Amino acid sequence: MMKILVGYKRVVDYNVRIQVKPDGTGVVTDGVKLSANPFDDIALEEALRLREKGLAEEVVVVGIGPSDLTAHLRNGLAMGANRAIHVVTADAVQPLTAARTLLKLVEKEQPGLVILGKQAIDDDANQTGQMLAALWDRPQATFASKVEIADGKATVTREVDAGLEVISVDLPAVVTSDLRLNEPRFIKLPDIMKAKSKPIDLIELATLGVDSGDHLKTTHYAAPAKRSKGVMVKDAAELVAALKQKGLL
Amino acid sequence: MTDPRLADLQASLPNLRLLTEPGDLEHYGRDWTRRWTPAPLAIALPSSVEEVQEVMRWANRQGVAVVPSGGRTGLSGGAVAAQGELVLSLQRMNRALAFEAADRTLTVQAGMTLQQAHEAARGHGLIYPVDFAARGSCSIGGNVATNAGGIRVIRYGNTREWIAGLKVVAGNGELLELNRGLIKNSSGYDLRQLMIGSEGTLGIVVEATLKLAEPPPPSQVMLLALPHMDALMQVFAAFRARLSLQAFEFFTALALKHVLAHGAQRALDGDYPYYVVCEFDAADEAARDAALAAFEQAVEQGWVLDGAIAQSEAQAAALWRLREGITESLAPHRPYKNDISVRIGAVPAFLHEMQALLTQAYPQFEVVWFGHIGDGNLHINVLKPQALADAEFIAQCEQVTKLLAATLQRHGGSISAEHGIGLVKRPYLESTRSAAEIALMRGVRQVFDPHGILNPGKLF
Ligand SMILES: Cc1cc2nc3c(=O)[nH]c(=O)nc-3n(C[C@H](O)[C@H](O)[C@H](O)COP(=O)(O)OP(=O)(O)OC[C@H]3O[C@@H](n4cnc5c(N)ncnc54)[C@H](O)[C@@H]3O)c2cc1C
Ligand SMILES: Cc1cc2nc3c(=O)[nH]c(=O)nc-3n(C[C@H](O)[C@H](O)[C@H](O)COP(=O)(O)OP(=O)(O)OC[C@H]3O[C@@H](n4cnc5c(N)ncnc54)[C@H](O)[C@@H]3O)c2cc1C
Repeated sequence: MMKILVGYKRVVDYNVRIQVKPDGTGVVTDGVKLSANPFDDIALEEALRLREKGLAEEVVVVGIGPSDLTAHLRNGLAMGANRAIHVVTADAVQPLTAARTLLKLVEKEQPGLVILGKQAIDDDANQTGQMLAALWDRPQATFASKVEIADGKATVTREVDAGLEVISVDLPAVVTSDLRLNEPRFIKLPDIMKAKSKPIDLIELATLGVDSGDHLKTTHYAAPAKRSKGVMVKDAAELVAALKQKGLL
Repeated sequence: MTDPRLADLQASLPNLRLLTEPGDLEHYGRDWTRRWTPAPLAIALPSSVEEVQEVMRWANRQGVAVVPSGGRTGLSGGAVAAQGELVLSLQRMNRALAFEAADRTLTVQAGMTLQQAHEAARGHGLIYPVDFAARGSCSIGGNVATNAGGIRVIRYGNTREWIAGLKVVAGNGELLELNRGLIKNSSGYDLRQLMIGSEGTLGIVVEATLKLAEPPPPSQVMLLALPHMDALMQVFAAFRARLSLQAFEFFTALALKHVLAHGAQRALDGDYPYYVVCEFDAADEAARDAALAAFEQAVEQGWVLDGAIAQSEAQAAALWRLREGITESLAPHRPYKNDISVRIGAVPAFLHEMQALLTQAYPQFEVVWFGHIGDGNLHINVLKPQALADAEFIAQCEQVTKLLAATLQRHGGSISAEHGIGLVKRPYLESTRSAAEIALMRGVRQVFDPHGILNPGKLF
């Protein structure tokens, strides 16, 4: 039976109002609620359900990030993953680096399925799953809203612009989760206790021989321009006059 | 508009918005209680302090009773107009007026909803910490009039703690500016505090200066499953000793049944008799470890059987919905509501007696328990069986309330913790306040509202 590798990134909580640091070097994360990337929670939930159906025997959560990410990975273990791999780096990780790192772990772990979120809500890149599939030279089924596994294939319903599309891919493959795939479970407190004894492998990113390849450099962060307040006009004549004044008529 | 009194009002205030359509009279004539048939004379929707004053002068002249009206989410009938009163709704006076950064205060018109006040505070990087499920509809004026409590009292106290100043039109039409945002003011009676909790019987709150607070650090929300009621206060003590609590709320399996049927999401797999939702500061690993330690201790002691913890704000909201959705989920069952409190130290003994009393008194009814147990505040809702007529159901409940009031009196508790006395709890005021206190309250009322124009028949 197969092993499933799941990406489990930590981001600023979806419901937190993002604030840009005054000096424009990034967004404020101090004193801010950090949570799992919602799509990764969904990815992990799907992996756990496949395991509970007897279609997989092991679920491994993977995180790439600074040393305090370990606590976050423990949440993934408490949710039900069998073990975790923490690739340690203090640097920001761009999608290509993430994909190359995941490829190294895939080569080592030989999973039958990799499930990632369709995107992470911090950079909204929507690239890592596709890049991993290409580097690994295996099929990809992105934006999944339903996954069925049988006979060495995954039948995946995809949310595409025109509606739904069903494709079948040979395993091993990369699947990325969309919002409607499932509703992630709550973490039970007794499982947090149990998770304390589950294994977490720590691997320094530098030791994996990944070419960082991060040729993109972020120069500045800025908040989107504030929408200016609407103006109330008395009647149609005033509206026309206002539009004319703005050169719109 | 044939009523000469209304013609007089309209003549004095040609621009005042007045509603007299039957649909409006019904809508504005009642709150969340459904016991009384709305029958107001008319609805006035003033847009300024001057209009409110003029309406009060008219009411005194014509001898028309006035019911101050906010969001009408009240649960004691305080805003009910069933006797030909004029409903004075603050609904149109809902703007933020001034933010004082140095004072950390926000002055708003009394018709602003609690949620709008939250948003306005957040816009300044601060919070207004009074909070509860009716936030989207209830008004700051109504909150002041009932000294509203809610789900953060354990950390922040009631509305009373957060009012730095009030502008009030007294029953005689006089405008009073009470305390003006001062922190220190040792110059005689604090009339601002007298207004808070006066249930619209002394004056009409037209503006409030709210104190604002720093936002709390990131928090975590837990759901705990308990084996019996005795465990409640033990868990509370254990958690309060280890954590900085923001909220500690409880409900029973029956409450959960109703809220799940109303669309809330199940969080635990098993079924348990009692549940607690608690929220606490969790800025760092140490706080999160302390929470787990508290949980472990409670499990070892047999006080807690299972629990879940939210991993995101979305999950936190889902856990909160299990508690906050209860009132709404019960509404279709026309519940008879009790909102009672005792000192925290008296809760365990009181719960015991109450449980015995209610199982005996209500063998035939569904009784749903929930509430702000961390403040010693219980909501006990008796659901009306469909077959039973309203009047018969209420009559049966009132019999039990008499027993309940007597039990409360023995424990030194209150018949109304946070909803106010209004019409609903008026027959039981004596169980909580002494005859001397009530006589003084009547005396105060006489001074502020000599003609008894404001909310007659409410409170006492
Ligand atoms: C789902 C739900 C949950 C609730 N949870 C809580 C809770 O946790 N804690 C709590 O304390 N309450 C709770 N309540 C009760 C209610 O929301 C509060 O009592 C609230 O403060 C009432 O505000 P309102 O604007 O709706 O007042 P209304 O119902 O309009 O009026 C209440 C009383 O205040 C008077 N009044 C209103 N406005 C003014 C004014 N401007 N000047 C003078 N008097 C005025 C009225 O005459 C009446 O006596 C809940 C209600 C619901 C429906
Ligand atoms: C050196 C010094 C420093 C001070 N610093 C402060 C300060 O920082 N902050 C501050 O607020 N004050 C300060 N004060 C003022 C004074 O100490 C306070 O007002 C204090 O509360 C008065 O208490 P007392 O018992 O001395 O009252 P008294 O002076 O005896 O009486 C004060 C008033 O209270 C009434 N009263 C006394 N006892 C009772 C009772 N049991 N029931 C009803 N009424 C009663 C009296 O009739 C009188 O009106 C200071 C005074 C001094 C001398």
